[in-house]
Amino acid sequence: MRSQDIRPWLASGGPLLFVAALPAILLVGVLLYFTFWALAFSFTDLETVGAKAVNWSWVGIDNYVRLFTRKGFLESLWVTLQFTFFSAIVGQCVMGFLLAVALRGKTGRLRALVEVSLMLGWLLPDIVAAFLWSATTSESGLLNQFIVIPLGFDPINFRNDYALTVVILANVWKGTAWSYLLFTAALDSVPREVLEAATVDGATSRQRMWRIVLPMIRPHIATNMLFITIWTFTYFSLIFAMTGGGPGNDTRVLAIFLYLQSFDVHKLGYGSAISVAMLVIVGGLSLIYLRLLKEPK
Amino acid sequence: MKKYLLASGAGLAMLCQMAPAFADVSIMYPDWMSALVEPGISNFEAASGQKVNAVKMPGDGYEQRVAVDLAAGTAPDVVVVDSFMVSELASAGYLYDLDDKLAGWDQFKYYMPGLLDVASYDGSVYALPTDTDVRMLWYDKSVFEKAGIEMPWAPKTWDDVIAAAEKIKAAGVENAFVLPAGTKQGEAATMQGFYMALLGADTPTDDRNRLRAWDKNAWIGDSPALRRTLDLYKTVYVDKELTPASINYETDVGAAIREAISKDQLGILASGSWEFSCLWDCNGINIPSAEERNATLGWTPWPGSGAEGAPATTNISGGWTLGVSAKAADPDAAFGLLTSIFDKDNFAKWTIGEHRMGVRTDITESAEYTSDAFLAEATKLAATTTGRDTYPGYAKVTTAVQEATAAILDGASVEDAIAEYKATLEDEFGAEAVITFK
Amino acid sequence: MERSTHSPMMALALSFVAVIWISPFAWLLANAFDTSANGQLRWPQTPGLGNFVDAISGEAGGQFVNSVILATGTATMTVAAAAGAAYGLSRLTFRGKDAILWGLVLLRMLPTNGVLVPIYFAAQTAGLLNPLGVMIALTVLNLPFTLLLMKNFFDTVPFELEEAAHVEGASLWQILIRIVLPLSRAGVAVVWFFAFTGAWNEFLFPLIFARSEAVFPMSIGLYSAFGQHGAIQYGFLAAYSIVYAAPAVGVYFLLRRNMNTGFAGVGVKG
Repeated sequence: MRSQDIRPWLASGGPLLFVAALPAILLVGVLLYFTFWALAFSFTDLETVGAKAVNWSWVGIDNYVRLFTRKGFLESLWVTLQFTFFSAIVGQCVMGFLLAVALRGKTGRLRALVEVSLMLGWLLPDIVAAFLWSATTSESGLLNQFIVIPLGFDPINFRNDYALTVVILANVWKGTAWSYLLFTAALDSVPREVLEAATVDGATSRQRMWRIVLPMIRPHIATNMLFITIWTFTYFSLIFAMTGGGPGNDTRVLAIFLYLQSFDVHKLGYGSAISVAMLVIVGGLSLIYLRLLKEPK
Repeated sequence: MKKYLLASGAGLAMLCQMAPAFADVSIMYPDWMSALVEPGISNFEAASGQKVNAVKMPGDGYEQRVAVDLAAGTAPDVVVVDSFMVSELASAGYLYDLDDKLAGWDQFKYYMPGLLDVASYDGSVYALPTDTDVRMLWYDKSVFEKAGIEMPWAPKTWDDVIAAAEKIKAAGVENAFVLPAGTKQGEAATMQGFYMALLGADTPTDDRNRLRAWDKNAWIGDSPALRRTLDLYKTVYVDKELTPASINYETDVGAAIREAISKDQLGILASGSWEFSCLWDCNGINIPSAEERNATLGWTPWPGSGAEGAPATTNISGGWTLGVSAKAADPDAAFGLLTSIFDKDNFAKWTIGEHRMGVRTDITESAEYTSDAFLAEATKLAATTTGRDTYPGYAKVTTAVQEATAAILDGASVEDAIAEYKATLEDEFGAEAVITFK
Repeated sequence: MERSTHSPMMALALSFVAVIWISPFAWLLANAFDTSANGQLRWPQTPGLGNFVDAISGEAGGQFVNSVILATGTATMTVAAAAGAAYGLSRLTFRGKDAILWGLVLLRMLPTNGVLVPIYFAAQTAGLLNPLGVMIALTVLNLPFTLLLMKNFFDTVPFELEEAAHVEGASLWQILIRIVLPLSRAGVAVVWFFAFTGAWNEFLFPLIFARSEAVFPMSIGLYSAFGQHGAIQYGFLAAYSIVYAAPAVGVYFLLRRNMNTGFAGVGVKG
């Protein structure tokens, strides 16, 4: 497709395009610099305080070996995978999709109510959401007062016994808004004529969903899953505020592990290695999504 | 194009110059210290005519902020740090050696030498302590009454404490014995929980009951004292389930504890002398009178474990400090601000008003101080206190300690937790710098 | 839009969802309107607006302005940078385009705590330890996602319109201003909203960059409800968060209509 490689009106606009893109190019350059910094220092024993802050040295792949030989990384990875899978993929994505389908094409107060509720969850600052959920799952909180006790059970200390579940629920509550918005627009983009034609041909609504809608919005599903996987995998603030990674290490996700290593123990070099490792893992996950995305045009 | 670049370059350079010239001296402090710092600042400004750029920080994120500031050299002239960080910061060259300036300050002689040790490194003083504290076991009197335990409570060994906690649990109280654990509370868990137990777990000979064997210049990776302490944690949280682990990981631990007390759901609390105010309000606003507080809560010194040779009671003291950054543009002015904050009148007012434990004899021997019954009693505990093993690298050791307690909460055996602790220390400091006591 | 009514089952289920989503807020409201709030879920003991008054007095006004400046500045900078490059990325084809795009996304996978220190050092060297520096840092971190978002959106705008304009003799500049930008209003709205709310809720960067209290945004002011050993003033915290979250919600409703078409373009992968 050689002749279509450059659209004719762009050919003469080279300089303009370049100037418009310049800020982005510069800023991406800055981002690359930070990334390489983290990558470079992951091979050192740099620390933020102490003697090693000034006299650090190269240690090769020691930090990476330590990821597997010392405790903490693999356990945190497992917690993070569970957290990401259940809150992002199962929770936010599915909930967002279901809500988008249920409210598709509707207008009116109910839709507005649902949307406001979702948005409030998303827009509330993390620390406040943490308090909210701590209060809701506490022994005098909503869940116990209105559900557990009326059913006749003793109050449950949710954050002691089911910490990871609570954190997952809180994250679903917080983040579903994004998936909902994405899927709403995605569903809107499915041309009505195609659906009507299918109905005329006798397809049931279930068949319409599986055969037509889902395949058409497959790229949206994949992209959404990619974005929220990345966000959730590296998520820090809500979990840290709610449980600090505990009880014990029940909710210690990789981002918290990274924080403790970089700022509590001051080991920047090791912290950088953890960051790079997280990047590699998420990169691997995104390759999987890329496969999902490669559909025949 | 060139002119534009030059102009912007000059502009940028000017901006860089402008930043420090806004004020002559800068200081950063967490907001719970305002009552001490702010009058000191205004006194300094009035006396010297120099402007102080003061930044009051929230408690959250303070660690990250201080870490990046000091590492990048953008720290303010006067900086507030926890005492255990002083040796680390000094060894990295971030703090200004105060010895010369202190020699010229007439109030320096009143400082208690033991407390200056904590803020020193390699024989020089790098920071001045704001206060100190002692640690003890607080207990809720109404809960004790319900559980039928004799008061005033005077346990002699760990077994006494556990026995009391079991009675409290049997009376239906949820948090029978709150022993700080885990990584969320940071240094608080190490000091109020682990260290208090550790110091009573074995004899002080050869530093067997500590984290560091000073004579041998090595950290202790394994010892009977460490094992007994972790075993205590196991008893409290796993074997007898005297307290749910989650209390250590609350979004706001202090609030959770206060709520538990107000609901009579807390029996024994391992904490410190500041709780005499803080269990109601640290800033002393709207708190009940001393008599009322004594009627609700009592306290007793931490008993030793009862093992042979172990001390009868234990105590460890910490506290915060103020230091001067090595990069301060005008160290004299910075030191002037420091002495203004710590000037006797301001310092004494804060110490006594907030029920802090004094660090200077001119304050602790004053009439107002000794007339405060609580402070007088608590200061007696300070007679046999010790400090943390604040050798550079302590930050990693204390985190390893917290992680060991977290592992116990997770169900690990004492054997495994100790093995992991030792391996962490060896990994960090090298096997030669870690020893084992049998 | 077809106006169909929900089946009763569906309406019930949706109401249920709305209730579940909103019910945790009961705690927030109960504490916000209770001047003697203590963080528990209970009917307000002393109902009143005192907490709200506290929340908006003092430094809150200045912090609000700082938040607005920071959020709008970041959002605008992000949009300008992203849109500028995304158009070219969308319309041009060249070898390695895919690699660049996914490489960008890969860059963003580094957790913020991991790049905090180098960002701080760099900002300090450049003399950017101020709100402008925060805006730039946030824009840099936003860029990979927003570039991808905008590029995907441009992909869905049919280039026939541009082609037609070119045939009629319009220059690239005119095409951009007259045709592309108006059509991309939706994509711009999405990216702007995303960057705005991100910056509005940002706590860490303003905290470590600030050299004086005068530049604290509201996200830091929130923390004055806490102390280190002190009691948290729950009433203040709750009222403050409502006041703090309200503008962001407001922005959502302003942009909502624009954003619906915007999100559709997000998922299509070029």
